[in-house]
Amino acid sequence: MKLKLENLTKRWGAVYGARDVNIEVKDGEFVALLGPSGCGKTTTLLMVAGIYKPTAGVIRFGERVMNRVPPKNRNVGMVFQSYALYPHMTVFENLVFPMKLKRVPAKERRERAQQVAEMMGIGHLMDRKPGQLSGGQQQRVALGRALTKQPELLLFDEPLSNLDARLRLSMRAEIKRLQVNLGITSIYVTHDQVEAMTMADRIAVMRDGLLEAYCPPDELYDRPATLFVAGFVGNPPMNFLDVEVTQANGELRARCLGLDVAVPAERGARAAGKPKVTLGIRPEDLSIVLGEPGGEADTVVAGEVYVVEPLGRDDLIDVQIGQSHVNVLVNPGLGLRLGDPVRLKFNMEKAQFFDPETEQSLLWR
Amino acid sequence: MDDRMGVGSRWRAVLPLLVMAVLTVPILMGYVWIIISTFSQRTYGLVPVDSAGRVGGLTLENWAFLWEDPNIWKVTLNSFTLAVGLTIGVVLVSALAGYALSRISFPGRKAFLGTTLILHAFPSVTLLISIYFVLRWITRVPILGRGIPVIGGFGYDTVGGVILVMLALQLPLGVWLMKGFFDNISWDMERAALIDGCTRLRVWWQIIMPQIKPGIAALAIFSFISGWNEFLIPYTYITDQEKSTIAAYLRSLMSDTAPVNYSQIAAVGLFQLIPVMIFFIFTQEYLLSIFAGGSKGGT
Amino acid sequence: MAMTQRPVRDPVTAQRAQGSFGDSFRSALGPLLFMGPAGFLVVAFFFIPVVIIIAFSLTDMSSSTGFQNWAWVQLENYRKILVHPSSGPILWNTIKYVVLTLSLFNVGMGLVIALLSTHVPRRTGFLFRALWLLPRLTPSVVYVMVWKYIAADAPYGILNQHLLGPLGVKATNWLPAQPWAFVIASNGFIGASFGMIIFTSAIESIPRDYMIAALVDGCSLWQRIRYVILPMIRWPLLFVTTYQTLSLFTSFEQILLLTDGQFGTEVWSLWAYHRALNNYWGNFQWGFGSALAAVLVVIGILMAIVYMRYFRFNELVQEPRIEAL
Repeated sequence: MKLKLENLTKRWGAVYGARDVNIEVKDGEFVALLGPSGCGKTTTLLMVAGIYKPTAGVIRFGERVMNRVPPKNRNVGMVFQSYALYPHMTVFENLVFPMKLKRVPAKERRERAQQVAEMMGIGHLMDRKPGQLSGGQQQRVALGRALTKQPELLLFDEPLSNLDARLRLSMRAEIKRLQVNLGITSIYVTHDQVEAMTMADRIAVMRDGLLEAYCPPDELYDRPATLFVAGFVGNPPMNFLDVEVTQANGELRARCLGLDVAVPAERGARAAGKPKVTLGIRPEDLSIVLGEPGGEADTVVAGEVYVVEPLGRDDLIDVQIGQSHVNVLVNPGLGLRLGDPVRLKFNMEKAQFFDPETEQSLLWR
Repeated sequence: MDDRMGVGSRWRAVLPLLVMAVLTVPILMGYVWIIISTFSQRTYGLVPVDSAGRVGGLTLENWAFLWEDPNIWKVTLNSFTLAVGLTIGVVLVSALAGYALSRISFPGRKAFLGTTLILHAFPSVTLLISIYFVLRWITRVPILGRGIPVIGGFGYDTVGGVILVMLALQLPLGVWLMKGFFDNISWDMERAALIDGCTRLRVWWQIIMPQIKPGIAALAIFSFISGWNEFLIPYTYITDQEKSTIAAYLRSLMSDTAPVNYSQIAAVGLFQLIPVMIFFIFTQEYLLSIFAGGSKGGT
Repeated sequence: MAMTQRPVRDPVTAQRAQGSFGDSFRSALGPLLFMGPAGFLVVAFFFIPVVIIIAFSLTDMSSSTGFQNWAWVQLENYRKILVHPSSGPILWNTIKYVVLTLSLFNVGMGLVIALLSTHVPRRTGFLFRALWLLPRLTPSVVYVMVWKYIAADAPYGILNQHLLGPLGVKATNWLPAQPWAFVIASNGFIGASFGMIIFTSAIESIPRDYMIAALVDGCSLWQRIRYVILPMIRWPLLFVTTYQTLSLFTSFEQILLLTDGQFGTEVWSLWAYHRALNNYWGNFQWGFGSALAAVLVVIGILMAIVYMRYFRFNELVQEPRIEAL
């Protein structure tokens, strides 16, 4: 089923929960709503579910306007962060409850519940109460309960946030696999950008009730439309430096205290001539240059190691350049220590430029 | 709380206990006396004595009213009906209103909550005079007034009428308590139920009510005890001996005859006290919590 | 769609809004179902009675005029209250009763029990508090009967037999001799539990760090009470004091049962009750009694509103997080 949100707005008094959100979800698509807490992603999801009434705007399932349809008639399934299982019912009763309300015949109810339980690997837990299950098992039941009613739309509200890290990883893969196999249109709310990046076909990034970006994961990563998206997506986060981009002899250069690097023309064209722009560069696009200084490319900058954080596979190094700091991922084998002088090569082919006033990208918009 | 070791520490630990014990003596003494005197011909203070004043005189004859006076069973049944009716009424009406006030947004919700709170502090006994007239009006309503079996109806001089008045007077406490219990239920669970296909009424009955069973039990116990104990309202609004309650019956024993036979009256008193004591022994914690919850607000 | 959500103004939008009539009907029905019974009871037994009591207080209605021959007398009943020879003494009785019971028991004893029972082992403290709850749970008639027996003349009364007799005090029936002591004590032993429960939870919620800090600073028990506990529970103290003032002011059940206003123990609320609903000579002065009660009703409403503002009850109200019905 297709889903369309047109200028969807939720307002409480003077406070906006969501503001003019426009999202179109294709049939069978998996869309993540990504953003920090309080950004309006859950509000948007609850409007789709029918729990909140939109202040303005339209929700369409297919062509049908759903604004006034009560939640029970929307045929959606929802999975919550807190699992929200009914604690006084057994797993079996939880699974069949939605079907009972839809007046599915008893025999079919049992069969479907059994089938879903097998699929979720909870077939042996049918007679237990939710209180006797682990978090992971409870979330499987919750997912099963959302599936037994055969919904046209699946909604997830941070379903993995209460699970421990290892379980989160396996459940992530499992939910993705289920969604692909069943082909149910899904909206997945999360504040975890890794979850969004790995699971979703498209990601809607929200901030303060506004939609900041809506595009596939790779585009979100490589072509961030705003400063916020650039900083929010990616771990460790993108480095930002306040620079001035000047043009001399047909060559573009980005400068600030202690830094002076050449900028490829197609990257820096719109940044040139502004007194101040924000240069964004991801830690993996910086590298340490070994050997003695001299005679190298004009994208190398000298700095000093300020902090070393061993991450295992890599070391995360905070390098001070003039008065700015950048994070760099380096090979632990280098054995860098505090105060060591280093030289960094900037991969300016991947550099981003933003207008610090409007926070918009100077490359992609 | 005082874990300091030292010379005075033992004394300091015992002193509060001692003071508290002394302060509690009058309470204990009263209940001890009731129990002793119901099994004695008479008592001098707490000492059982026979008719000549010698120590002893233990007897069961004070309990003769149980088989000699048929009225006792009539008034006991009336008190029981009153208590059960009140319990069902308070729990049902409070749970309905408490749910709506806690979880549904509707126009007038704030105003009603405010009213509930004001009524919570409002001295309802001052309204006894005018409630008398409301009851007399209800009496004139056909069937509802005085044509219902068991409770007699909801008008003046009926058990049902007394239930209705007590229910109204207990409502602010009940609604406020219930609202507090509902406030603590997870919103996600209710959302899940709505999405699964429930109406609000079904959510309330099938999903939320089972979660607050302890709260319901506490309120039910409290209401039952209040109904069973109540003296003033049945005394004021019931004139027919047939519909009298056990408290009013006890009161009539105390005031009729000149030299009061304490032992016999104590037996009736203990008879009324028994159900309360049973609840008290098994549910003190509930009761303490409901008094704490019911009086919450601003503290 | 957006049109129907706006307030209806012109006929065109009004027509489009027709479709939403069913919706608004449905959305009104839900709350009505839940609130209906409670709403009815509140109207029937609070709102209407308040109106009645004020209306009746302006009439001369009594059992001798019946419901046919009464007349409006404006403020005559209130004038009568002002000049009535009993008004002064009964007002004085009421004040004496409220102030003494409140200070000695409802606040004083409540605080003492709360302090003591939080300074002994948990289980013991709980047991004592449960015992103090007992008077409140005991049927009032049985409870008062016990007090009557405590006061009774020799050789029966507990007081004469076990305390005053051995001390050589001449035996008598202490209820007529010292009616106020018994009125205050019998009400006080019930009233103390309210303050006790509130103070106990307030004391138990004082962060342990404060207590430990006070111990480290070498405070004695008394200093801890004076400088740590009392300042931290002053809000509950104020709440109990004001709340219980009102309930004592209007309660009369125990006095009715214990002395029925004899021996000079008639208080204002009992006076209203006697006049309007329950007296020996069978003339029920509904008008005059209503005026007496109306005075209390007005005081009650005012004080209740003050609590609501002052103790910010409103902050306990959360907004619903579901808008669907």
